[in-house]
Amino acid sequence: MAREQDLLAAFIEFADTIVDEYDVVEFLHRLATRCVELVDASEAGIMLADRDGMLHYVASSSERMRLIELFELQHDEGPCLDAYRDGVAVISSLTADTFERWPLFAPHAQENGFASVSALPMRLRNEVIGALNIFSTKTEPLEPDDQKVAQALADIATIGILQERALSDARVVTSQLEVALESRIVIEQAKGIVAERNHVSIDTAFTLLRTHARSHNALLSQTATEIVDGRLATDELTASVPKRP
Amino acid sequence: MTVGRVEPEAFARLVAVRSEQNNDPASSLCLACTDVLGVTGAGLMLMSGGRSLGCVAVSDLVTEAVEQLEYTLGEGPCLEAYANRAPVFDPDLADQGIARWPEFRRGALAAGVRAAFGFPLLVDRICIGALNLYHDKSGVLTETQIGDALVVARLAGRTLLAWQAVAPPGTVAWQLEAVPSHRIQVHQASGRISVQAGIPVTDALALLRAYAFAEDLPISDVAAAVSEGTLRFD
Repeated sequence: MAREQDLLAAFIEFADTIVDEYDVVEFLHRLATRCVELVDASEAGIMLADRDGMLHYVASSSERMRLIELFELQHDEGPCLDAYRDGVAVISSLTADTFERWPLFAPHAQENGFASVSALPMRLRNEVIGALNIFSTKTEPLEPDDQKVAQALADIATIGILQERALSDARVVTSQLEVALESRIVIEQAKGIVAERNHVSIDTAFTLLRTHARSHNALLSQTATEIVDGRLATDELTASVPKRP
Repeated sequence: MTVGRVEPEAFARLVAVRSEQNNDPASSLCLACTDVLGVTGAGLMLMSGGRSLGCVAVSDLVTEAVEQLEYTLGEGPCLEAYANRAPVFDPDLADQGIARWPEFRRGALAAGVRAAFGFPLLVDRICIGALNLYHDKSGVLTETQIGDALVVARLAGRTLLAWQAVAPPGTVAWQLEAVPSHRIQVHQASGRISVQAGIPVTDALALLRAYAFAEDLPISDVAAAVSEGTLRFD
């Protein structure tokens, strides 16, 4: 499918985010430009949240002053803010109720010749870091296929930014990886200990560990560590969760 | 100052395209290394606090066997490159004039490897492990190859951490999860041995390794025997 090839090409194009300490603004500018091409829009841009949760303009497909102003207006209201706060896509023609919804932003957008706007949240699981904003002169709002493409680009942007932030202080990610790898090792060791001592299969041993962890509100890795250290006896593990009195 | 020919962007693209094809980004990363550097095998090992956390990616089965050997023996190019934070070169594993990693060299030669090189994985001045390069013919790396290897090692280190950076908290990135099942079995076996022999788990792992070395068996085979119950340490 042509669409999938477009997305693959976009993904490969942005695969060089890990190449070097790259310029985030340049990366987002290129992404905004690519977005406009792929969904046949007029303009696109990105706003990112700062530590206080306030959105700021970062980059757009073109740097016309009037366009940038449209982003800066979205500090207090607008599709980007809604997408960022709610974590969902905002797809809208500029009609009467959008003028009510965005009393400052909507008239300015219309004055600039735009008839529909969209904002895709830049999110990874529970974290939303900003929004990808799209402007079109067409009245019809963004079609579902184009919405998918735009969201995919927003996802690429999100991952690229989060990775770059992590790599600029590799210490944090390195220790997270080490902790995760170590806890996996400890869990496997604990399975072996429980299987051997309680004369059960590895799978049953895993169930016993998990049940104990859950009923004691502990992480699996914590329970596993206690088994390996000898602080928790294997005969304290039971298959059934004790009933609350 | 050696300068490589490989363009970082081109390397990153090669990895991305290969990953799309085989859905295994970690082995794709290693395969891209072998393509660019013209060696027969590449492996990535992570290390922390002076010890190995395990091999997270290999380009092929021979490399997997040799990496396993390095892990079992606790000696080899990765470990030395990590310890020195500098590249390590062994262009002819059969050269008896050099007294280094004797057991590793013996095992690697038996697997068909004639040369081995290690490059530390450095990200933001932290050494997270090493890139192992293996070749089935002896010979030194050219200046271009060394320059390219330095570039590729830097990119590989960044790639590994970039994957981890977007993994759900507390988990190992899925791209690094393709740890061969034998590794899991080794740790389970250590647990069993610690109960059988009445010793701490770290000692149990050392005992397992020592047994594998003494019996000249792959550590995965010994771990499998312990798991099946055909080998006990009590």
